[in-house]
Amino acid sequence: MNIGQFLAIFISAVFVYNVILSRFLGLCSFIAISKETKPAIAMSLAVMFVTTMSSIITWLIYQFLLVRFNITYLRTIAFILVIATFVQLVEMIIKKISPPLYRFFGIYLPLITVNCAVLGVAVLNIDMFFINGKAIAGSFYYSVFQGVCVGVGYTVAMLLMSGIRERLDFCNVPECVKDFPLAFIIASIMSMSFMGFNGFKL
Amino acid sequence: MNKLIVSYSPHLHTNESAAKIMWAVFISLLPAGIAAIFIFGLAALWVIFLGVISAVITEGLLQRFNKKKITLTDGSAALTGLLLSYNLPANSPWWLVVIGSFFAVAIGKQIFGGLGQNIFNPALVGRVFLMTCWPKYMTNFMKPLNTGINFFSSLHYDALTAATPLMTVKEGKAITGISYWDLLLGKHGGCLGEVCILALLAGALFLLIKKYISWHIPIIYIATVGLFSWIFGSKGLFSGDWIFAILSGGLVLGAFFMATDYVTSPLTRKGQVIFASGCGILTAVIRLWGGYPEGVSYAILIMNAATPIIDRYTKNRIFGR
Amino acid sequence: MKFESKEFIKGIVKENPTFVLALGLCPTLAVSTALTNGLGMGIAATFVLIGSNIIISLIKNIVPDKIRIPCYIVVIATFVTITELFMKAYSPALNRALGIYVPLIVVNCIVLGRAEAYASKSSVSNSIVDALGMGFGFTLALLLISGIREVLGMGTFFGHKIMKGYEPMFIFALPSGALLVIGLLMGLFSLLKNRKT
Repeated sequence: MNIGQFLAIFISAVFVYNVILSRFLGLCSFIAISKETKPAIAMSLAVMFVTTMSSIITWLIYQFLLVRFNITYLRTIAFILVIATFVQLVEMIIKKISPPLYRFFGIYLPLITVNCAVLGVAVLNIDMFFINGKAIAGSFYYSVFQGVCVGVGYTVAMLLMSGIRERLDFCNVPECVKDFPLAFIIASIMSMSFMGFNGFKL
Repeated sequence: MNKLIVSYSPHLHTNESAAKIMWAVFISLLPAGIAAIFIFGLAALWVIFLGVISAVITEGLLQRFNKKKITLTDGSAALTGLLLSYNLPANSPWWLVVIGSFFAVAIGKQIFGGLGQNIFNPALVGRVFLMTCWPKYMTNFMKPLNTGINFFSSLHYDALTAATPLMTVKEGKAITGISYWDLLLGKHGGCLGEVCILALLAGALFLLIKKYISWHIPIIYIATVGLFSWIFGSKGLFSGDWIFAILSGGLVLGAFFMATDYVTSPLTRKGQVIFASGCGILTAVIRLWGGYPEGVSYAILIMNAATPIIDRYTKNRIFGR
Repeated sequence: MKFESKEFIKGIVKENPTFVLALGLCPTLAVSTALTNGLGMGIAATFVLIGSNIIISLIKNIVPDKIRIPCYIVVIATFVTITELFMKAYSPALNRALGIYVPLIVVNCIVLGRAEAYASKSSVSNSIVDALGMGFGFTLALLLISGIREVLGMGTFFGHKIMKGYEPMFIFALPSGALLVIGLLMGLFSLLKNRKT
């Protein structure tokens, strides 16, 4: 377990293989919610929380349940159930302790369940930090950190995109590319720019 | 009757029109172009010519297609074409220049609605697009001042190639035979418009004196790169070659002529400081630890993307709120 | 089993899941680097769509409303697992190419979306036709995007070199190229739609 690996995970998840701009995870919510900054920030924070927590829980379940009993092929079902349950739980807790916050999140909270980024990072952790069913050294810490970084990468992309799209509201964009098409083209340019961090080595 | 003018950036309260400024920037870039032709031969002139013409034709065609007013005389398409060509190797194939110009004007500018509405610097959009499409061609730099080949034959001669100083550093080799004076004059490999620092500085001085650009963004950008390179640029701390860092690559070209673009940089002074520092840090980080030898284009584009957010959070406090 | 051609056609053009409904974009962009990958993903997703639509349509009256979404997800996840295992056994190369996007079919908005919007309210036969239509439309969209990306980005068609002396535009093999292609295609679709009206 070394510092270099953590830095590599950070640069990778936020820039080079940005969860949205490069892996396309969470793209649906990205295109739909990045129109305005406030909802974008809310969604990003919620996603970051869920990716971190689900990284922890899914790793534990994989290591101590699926690997132990040799049923790793049930990974997909187990993970999605865990994530759906967790999001439901978070929803109920937020509703209880802070109704205004719950109303602020609105529909976005249940939508996180089907956000590819959450299931995606859980699967990614397993693919990257388990070899032949055995956890590599520091696997847990790398997985949790990757969960956090994926959230950060999501937030960075959302924040930049929402600022851009809010400003484009004042411009007279050609009719045929309004909204979705232009959002994709902007994402493309952002993806190109982030590629500048390719081959990062400390 | 008083007309209420409602518009978005740039809000210019001078008697200069946007066109006048565009052409002024265009003219200020010409010394670097002339130097390029001198250093790399007629091939450079061909690239510059193709770049400008393709950009202008693209804008004309698109505006005709969208039934908008044709605004070719405002010089912005020509400027985009010129800046893009300055970011290319002198021996670029013609189709690379044309496609790049087309992309720069169409996707970098027109698809956002035209002048004043683009988010990213169009020339840099074109360059990064080309870099991603054909990395081999975009890093194939001609050897400068090739004695033994005729000035005119550089067009057809399979030019000798040379790595840029930054590429040499990235490979971990030491720089031999290039002095700071060589860097200033441009006697080394690189993109045709970025090598002759003296010519670029002359043009920049003209723009500064005429107050078409202000010193804040370029100076802070360059200083940040220098500082970062000094601190982290070599094995020990605080011993990096900051002069080399400032004079190499596309930093001077980018800092004075692309980062200063009104449309794609923040409105407020505070925002501009953040913008310039961000550009500097990103450039230095990519140069020092990234896979690419040069990071100016990527750094500026990323900060272009951040400009709306920067503007949002550095808005001037309005009296009474 | 009555074959409602209208239900089938709508999945291809009017309600194309990719270009019109903008669903399931994550895997579309990720796997469309080559035509074989696009085809493989299309077939896999169609299989999951048909299977889950059938089961959900069959159990729609037994499932209590409050927990219907988790139930649907379990059904879909089961079919995805079947697909995963089948791929691992019979086409490991394709499985490696598609990577994490095979398990991600579970959260593919198309599958859950059709289950919720259609299969839970319609008969088994209609659900099958709808699944076929949507799956077909999705596969067509995948093939279109993969085709553009493979031809322009690598100069090959289903793995065979087709253009001599063409310098491939590498960007189309990369994520930014995928985003560019779908943005421009959507813009084109929109332009054609506006021209017609």
